[in-house]
Amino acid sequence: MPNQQAAARRGFFESAPGRTIARNWALCFLVLMAVVFSFAGPGFFDLVNFQNILHLATGSFLLAAAETFVIITGGIDVSIGFVYGLSSVLTATLMRNLTLAGMAPGEAIVISCLVALLVCLLPGFVNGILVTRFKVPSFIATMGMWGICQGATLYIAGGYLPVMGAPESVSRIGNSFLFYIDPGKSLTFFHKPDYIANESVRQLARVFPSSLLLSIGVLLVLGFLLKYTKFGRHTYAIGGSMDASVRAGINVDRHLVIIYTLSAFVAGIAGVFDVFQTGIGNYTPTGANYELLAVAAVVIGGASLLGGKGGILGTAIGVILIAVLNNGLQIVGISSFYRYIGVGILLTIAVVIDQVFPDLE
Amino acid sequence: MNTRVSNNNGSLLASIGRRWVLGFIIIEIVFFSVAARGFMSIDTVQLILFYGTEVFLLGTGELFVIISGGGGIDLSVGFVMGFATVVSAKLMVLFATMGASPLGSVLLGCAATLLIGLIPGLVNGWLVANLRVPPFIATFSMLGITHGISELLLQGSPAKNLPNLAGEIGNGYFAYLTPSGSLSFFSRPEVARGQHVWAIIPNIVVLAFIFIAIFAFVLHRTKFGRHVYAIGGNRDAAIRSGIDVRKSLLKVYVISSLFATIAGLSYTLKYITGKADAGSGMLLDGIAAVVIGGASMSGGSGTVWRSLLGALVIAILETGLRILGLQTFTTYIVVGVILIMAVIIDQLFPNFNR
Repeated sequence: MPNQQAAARRGFFESAPGRTIARNWALCFLVLMAVVFSFAGPGFFDLVNFQNILHLATGSFLLAAAETFVIITGGIDVSIGFVYGLSSVLTATLMRNLTLAGMAPGEAIVISCLVALLVCLLPGFVNGILVTRFKVPSFIATMGMWGICQGATLYIAGGYLPVMGAPESVSRIGNSFLFYIDPGKSLTFFHKPDYIANESVRQLARVFPSSLLLSIGVLLVLGFLLKYTKFGRHTYAIGGSMDASVRAGINVDRHLVIIYTLSAFVAGIAGVFDVFQTGIGNYTPTGANYELLAVAAVVIGGASLLGGKGGILGTAIGVILIAVLNNGLQIVGISSFYRYIGVGILLTIAVVIDQVFPDLE
Repeated sequence: MNTRVSNNNGSLLASIGRRWVLGFIIIEIVFFSVAARGFMSIDTVQLILFYGTEVFLLGTGELFVIISGGGGIDLSVGFVMGFATVVSAKLMVLFATMGASPLGSVLLGCAATLLIGLIPGLVNGWLVANLRVPPFIATFSMLGITHGISELLLQGSPAKNLPNLAGEIGNGYFAYLTPSGSLSFFSRPEVARGQHVWAIIPNIVVLAFIFIAIFAFVLHRTKFGRHVYAIGGNRDAAIRSGIDVRKSLLKVYVISSLFATIAGLSYTLKYITGKADAGSGMLLDGIAAVVIGGASMSGGSGTVWRSLLGALVIAILETGLRILGLQTFTTYIVVGVILIMAVIIDQLFPNFNR
């Protein structure tokens, strides 16, 4: 019966161009939205604004990329939002304490980041063990970890206040650009030319935020891992059919532990970067739903919660779609609360399209 | 799947494992009695029920969804609850300014909110049952939508200026007993200064448990309830045996939304305000209550009674830690650990909770 209904709903989408549109609806919608905002919002269609969108979306890129792996295996990781906060608060606290202890800022920064990243392996590893050895459903295991990480974050931060006192150079690194161009005069990399005062740095053409370099780097590595390696093929295989993967000789348990650890690790990178971006350690507010927004981006990008489907490119498009929606609504002057509604509707569209065209892909 | 299949596994370990939630509650009570002076008292029991009301309500609503299986989960309950606090607070203020009496505006506000609170559930149910959207996605969308609408209604500041009566109902008790032995309902009797008045059961708790009892009856004693278990146990078999799965699923999500709305009303009456994020941290508690109560995430099992025990574990914990003066983060960690523990115990002793 669903097939008949699906067939009845198709019509135009039976044709070749229709199918292309349906398959790439997220991309089409993104372009459409960008065009609308370009006309409706002054200042939307602007290099500075586009760079800003991508800069602010760095955390979302990383979280969604982490979630992509877990979702492809047919699981879900709702702890990453709080691993993100844990990593951020831990990094900032370590930086503050090490600097206060008299360590040089450079060393303090490097050590703090490494320690925070190592610590973030732990929740992921525990998630993986719970899911594989103890057969705890991934939603429950990671939801328990959600609570544990949130508690640990608030413990480290000592309450609901951001952690201050990281070295000043941290936010300078996080907010730097790859190229600084003073038209006709100079071109510098990573730092502004010396003869320009801090106050007038905005007159320079600043191109390619360093944060984008991080996002692209991580997404490329993860995308490569997923698409061109045995590890990636096994990930899809496990999501497609766990039984078949076991019979094909894949060490499913070990693979899943690695996936959950990887997921927490990438969320950890996002948290460390958050300190570089804001200069402080931010805990994750309870209602922030970073992890659910990451799931939304992954699903909008074409993944299925049943597993076996999805990819880094689609996820990236999903993240950009949500980011552009946020930014565009702000610029047009529509209350930013509509973005919650907007994301909700987009997500439903994504899944309904998936239902109506089960044979896409 | 029948919930009362007799269990032949009679070893000591098995019987402890089967009742570990009860055992855990006893451990909690003993621990807090030793750690916190004055924990063992009638007042504390009432406090636990008072602060735990929302967990009991959300747990019961979430139970219906989880029993219905097929990845059934309702992520929207926390923000539907927030939505209900905002709508009810705004409506009470509106009715009061339109000239309704305080009692009229509170009652009308609550009644209208209960009706409006059905809408998120109807949409969730329609998406899940008719469009076959995975519950996780459908209810997450609804989470965003209700959050957005609540914030739009509030325009940045929590709702205030509710009729005083709202707070009196929300923080009042069902009955009061004076030392002279006279019993009065709903209003605190006038007594001489220094005399102690026993307050018996908060109003909110009475209301919450009336609703919970009604739906416990619905789940365990009606045809609809049996259908929900059947759908969760084996959806294909349920369809083949002629159960209208779509209609049942729709009802399940409406019930979950209804309970979230009642939890919101309870919050409004208790704290006399409406906030969009009133229930933002409640999702973990609601799901944890159901899972600690032994329901399986794959559906088909779980009872209202057990979920209430699960919710009680959390409520005692939160109240106890509050009395001890420990900050919220301890609660998050312990609830997280118990949640995981509950599932592991169920995995180790698969014959329980059936």
